[in-house]
Amino acid sequence: MNGTAGNVLSTVERHYKDYGLRAKELGNEGKKVIGYICSFVPLEMITAAGCIPFRMRGDIHEPITKGDTLLETIVCPFIRSCFDLSVKGTYDFLSGMVIPHACDSMVRSYSVWSYSLKFPYFHFVNIPTVCNESSLEFFNAELDTFRKSLEDLVGKKITDDDLVEAIRLHNENRDKARALYEFRKEDPPLISGTEVTMVLTVGSSLPILESNALFDEVLIEIGQRKKSPLTKGPRILIDGACVDNFELVKIVEESGGNVVIDTLCNGTRDYFPHTDVGEDPVKALGRRYMEKINCPKTYRKNKTDTFEGDSTDRFGDIGAYAKEFKADGAILYVYKYCDPFGFEVPARKAYYESINVPVLHLEDVYSAGTIGQLKTRIQAFLEMIG
Amino acid sequence: MAEEHKDKKHEKRRTATQAAAFITPMVKEFFKDTLRTRAEGKQKLAYTFICCHHEEILRAMDILPLWTENFAGICGAKRDAERFLQRAESLGLSRSLCTYALCGIGFDQWREELGEMPPDAPWGGQARPDFMISSGQILCDPRSKWYQASQQFMPDVPIYNIDLPYPLYDQKRDHRKVWGYYHKYIVAQLRGLVAFCEEQTSKKMDYDRLSELVDLTDRTWNLIHETYELRRAVPTPMGTGDAMNTMVPINFWMATQKAYDFFIELKKELEEKIAKGEGEVEDERYRLMWGGGLPSWFALNDFNYFNGKGASFPVETTYRSVVPLYEMDIPKTKDPIEHIAWRWLWYWTFWYEKARKRPESEPDVERLITWIEDYKIDGIVMHEAFSCRTWHVGLIWQLHQLGKIYKPIPVLTLGKDGKKEKTYRGLPSLILESDIIDITSYSEVDTRNKIDAFIETLESIRQSKAA
Repeated sequence: MNGTAGNVLSTVERHYKDYGLRAKELGNEGKKVIGYICSFVPLEMITAAGCIPFRMRGDIHEPITKGDTLLETIVCPFIRSCFDLSVKGTYDFLSGMVIPHACDSMVRSYSVWSYSLKFPYFHFVNIPTVCNESSLEFFNAELDTFRKSLEDLVGKKITDDDLVEAIRLHNENRDKARALYEFRKEDPPLISGTEVTMVLTVGSSLPILESNALFDEVLIEIGQRKKSPLTKGPRILIDGACVDNFELVKIVEESGGNVVIDTLCNGTRDYFPHTDVGEDPVKALGRRYMEKINCPKTYRKNKTDTFEGDSTDRFGDIGAYAKEFKADGAILYVYKYCDPFGFEVPARKAYYESINVPVLHLEDVYSAGTIGQLKTRIQAFLEMIG
Repeated sequence: MAEEHKDKKHEKRRTATQAAAFITPMVKEFFKDTLRTRAEGKQKLAYTFICCHHEEILRAMDILPLWTENFAGICGAKRDAERFLQRAESLGLSRSLCTYALCGIGFDQWREELGEMPPDAPWGGQARPDFMISSGQILCDPRSKWYQASQQFMPDVPIYNIDLPYPLYDQKRDHRKVWGYYHKYIVAQLRGLVAFCEEQTSKKMDYDRLSELVDLTDRTWNLIHETYELRRAVPTPMGTGDAMNTMVPINFWMATQKAYDFFIELKKELEEKIAKGEGEVEDERYRLMWGGGLPSWFALNDFNYFNGKGASFPVETTYRSVVPLYEMDIPKTKDPIEHIAWRWLWYWTFWYEKARKRPESEPDVERLITWIEDYKIDGIVMHEAFSCRTWHVGLIWQLHQLGKIYKPIPVLTLGKDGKKEKTYRGLPSLILESDIIDITSYSEVDTRNKIDAFIETLESIRQSKAA
């Protein structure tokens, strides 16, 4: 995918709207495109195998129909939407799919995915739930199993050098994403939240080299901006899981607020943690995906015997982001039926209170049908903190 | 819908066996014991979950397990969960989350706020624990999140989260190629639990006692399997309604002589009933399998309703949390922790080998097929509890897979003499929809209408087969 100078964002928009355009081309050329739906999937391993990691999206505008004939409606609505699109053929260009042990909605539906979709390759990566020495050792072994399964798929060995290079490229990608976030520190931000969502979403649908090139072009274009496309307004942090569309951000922006930072899976949760370099690449990947990705799925021991100490350990990144990006308020956006995030709502709300950041908790169902309700709640919240 | 329940006096449920009828008073006594133990302060109490294979460790260290799912189930069965669920909601927890956990968190928060049991707490209430043992399994997110959420209201109560993974089924891959490192990890996790319990109780583990309890558990597993296999008899002497009582010794009393003795008695009773030709229902017309889902604890009477229509339940997948040890190939070891870890892996992968031999099958489907044949099943009943993804995701798909084998139309098969003959292998299914303890999701009228329609279908198939 190539954007020409000055119009890279319109290219991004085209690929955002026609999601998977480039991956489809590559799939048709015989390249192996591997789908995934969660930040826990070690993308570097896929890249090192010579395959293309492709983040699968749902579609809030597409009613879930065929998927509901095979999968229960008590599953996370985001996962249901991804599954529905998959069984309707949207992702038929994929050569395979990787599902990690992230949440019940993914794990308990693994058989349904793997039997309903006729991809040649399916793999489950078992991510430990706790962080300690034995879980890291287990996870390294699990990563080796993943590595071997990909080797079988592509018919070649994945060398440590392949992995080191893939780690370098993905770290570079994260650096560029982080640079994009720097533009959000301005008031008003030089880049809108809608644009950031589109760029990061499209980036995760491309081969890593193309994603890096795209981010470079976007960085140049935004860097040349003299004026923000936004006006000043309450600066908002969005806290939640996977939000792969800009509708929520757009509501905030249309209501006079600016989304300046997030903790989302296709935002900082995924893009900010680096893989360490200069050591055994599998161990480094193990540490990144198990220890550095701050997902509620992973249990971290309360080392302080106090709720305050524990919540600082668990949610300290939120406080740090809120401070660094000068957030005036936060929206805690949780999908219905999401157990990992859902059970943290009281603790997260208490944490926001402790750092004096007003928070609006929204439970949603990943459907365009709720946009009106969300708008009302968000407008009221912005008026309150504005 | 909840209005239906308020005015109607809750009808007492009938059990087919005497053994099952003894359970409720025993559970009630257990709750009194926990409160007594809490008051005396001589024994440590731990919140924890069933199906973690850690009972022997807890009992060997004289820790009294408080099964929090059990207490939530009791609140549900007594139709008294709503006030705890509402309290959890008021904290910001969504009703779409596991309602066992919501009930437990709501109860804990209330108890901690009052400094005493909430008013009229079911069966005296749930005692405050000394520590909590979570379980980050591949099985259930709430098991990892529930106690962490409760800890907000009792931060002085420590948690040990025991990670117990198992290799997920993959038609193309042999799970035994990876289970060496799974076993090593589970052993490390169990040893971590022992160390945690030693720290909390200031006692050292007695490994001889642990070995004895592991042996007792193994024997109990085999005995349960043999007892439940008796239910293959026609008519079946015991149904799923009773099994929702006898799940108590399986899941809450394991690693005790009491559990073993209970099944000795139950086995004897079933053998006597079989000898006399006594069934769960007097005139058994349809044999059904409870093929998935936890029950609605407030509506167990629905099993009596099925029975009243001539339908029995010789087998269920729910809470049959054991498989025979003699069908596992567990490596010989003198280390009880290593044995528990192997048993864990064998339990979860028990049906893998069989499933791999049938294209398009899967362990849960294979278990259904096996038991449909072994127990001569005429139809399947499942329950979709809206708040639990753990046991209720994948059920629709399993029925789809079964539908490929048990077609609703007559099919031609090769008879014994090599001639083609028409056979009816139709296996109708019914999915009930409600929840485990949230009674607001339940309508007795709708449920029973569905059951009536299902019975009519079963009858029509029965007549077609007879024709």
